[in-house]
Amino acid sequence: MHIIKLNKQIKKRFIFLLIIFVCFSTSISLISYSLKDQIAYFVEPTDLKDMNELENKYLRVGGLVKENSLKFIDGSWVFEVIDQNKNSINVIFSKTLPSLVEEKKGIIVEGKLINNTFIAEIVLAKHDENYMPQSAIDKLKEEGKWRGD
Amino acid sequence: MFAITPNTLSTFMNSISKYIVLLSLLLIGIATFLIIFIENDYYQGISFKIMFIHVPAAWLSLAIFLAMGISSIIGLIFKSPTAFTIARSLSPIGLIMSIIVLVTGSIWGNLTWGAYWVWDARLTSMLILAFIYLGHILLLYSFEHFQKSDFAASILAIIGMVNLPIVKFSVDWWTTLHQGSSVLKIGGPSMTNDYLITLLVSFLGIFMLTMYWFSNIFYIIIEKRKIERSKLLND
Repeated sequence: MHIIKLNKQIKKRFIFLLIIFVCFSTSISLISYSLKDQIAYFVEPTDLKDMNELENKYLRVGGLVKENSLKFIDGSWVFEVIDQNKNSINVIFSKTLPSLVEEKKGIIVEGKLINNTFIAEIVLAKHDENYMPQSAIDKLKEEGKWRGD
Repeated sequence: MFAITPNTLSTFMNSISKYIVLLSLLLIGIATFLIIFIENDYYQGISFKIMFIHVPAAWLSLAIFLAMGISSIIGLIFKSPTAFTIARSLSPIGLIMSIIVLVTGSIWGNLTWGAYWVWDARLTSMLILAFIYLGHILLLYSFEHFQKSDFAASILAIIGMVNLPIVKFSVDWWTTLHQGSSVLKIGGPSMTNDYLITLLVSFLGIFMLTMYWFSNIFYIIIEKRKIERSKLLND
């Protein structure tokens, strides 16, 4: 008799906790789903094509620095940010670049799009999750397996 | 788990804690040696080596919260003092680990991204995790009796578990400045084997150290519980 009573209590507590957990996880997932455009840290150049009223709007755009586009002209850096769908934007940045900004590497630019040119105020380098020493890359290149660059 | 009394667990952990601390020091020594002599990353140079502290601390801060949440559930359902004491002893370790993650992460971020802090999904959710740890500790010590504080803090730990998948998968669900997962991801680890071994040795060393620390805190809390119980009986 005692054991049956205890089991009932355990079941009651379990259901109580389950309800709390389900309610909170549902509300958090609904909030984060509805705010997904705000939570996203940057947009890609492809996303800019679908957006209206881009002029003078403060934006964060991410992608890769296009090959052979990084140049230093009249005291400011000029380059193109390209994404996987080959859409790109022209960027001008007049401060010092982070040391890891290189061609064909990730970048995030913050600023405004004026006359189809992106005037960047902040530039951040975005590195990916692949780590390897130079010797491993040389070995892969020798074997002809290197796919990067 | 709920059949084990706190005393037997504490005695068991005390008997092996000497070996655990020796093993952890050995592993951390090996890891330090490996970190110093391993080759630099081709792109990030020497600054990526901070990963060997950052990533183990991040795994541990998530794993400790998961363990805390599960033992809170067991504690609430079965009214088990052992489970409550486990959750109570894990909390400060988790807070320290999440602070280590945030500090090493912002040093690494300044060296590579060019910014100490940005409000992207991964960094923000990790900060929230640290604040939940802090809130958990505050709840644990803001009531007079263990029974009340254990109940309140356990509810927070269970609710806080919602944040764990957000921290882990934030880099996949939203665009972030933070890079994706390198080890625990579909398609296998995206780093060479020497880096992976260094990371695992470093993780095991820090894990063993947290276990040693956990057994010490566990012992102290059990003694406190005994004092409280004897006080209640005397009144």
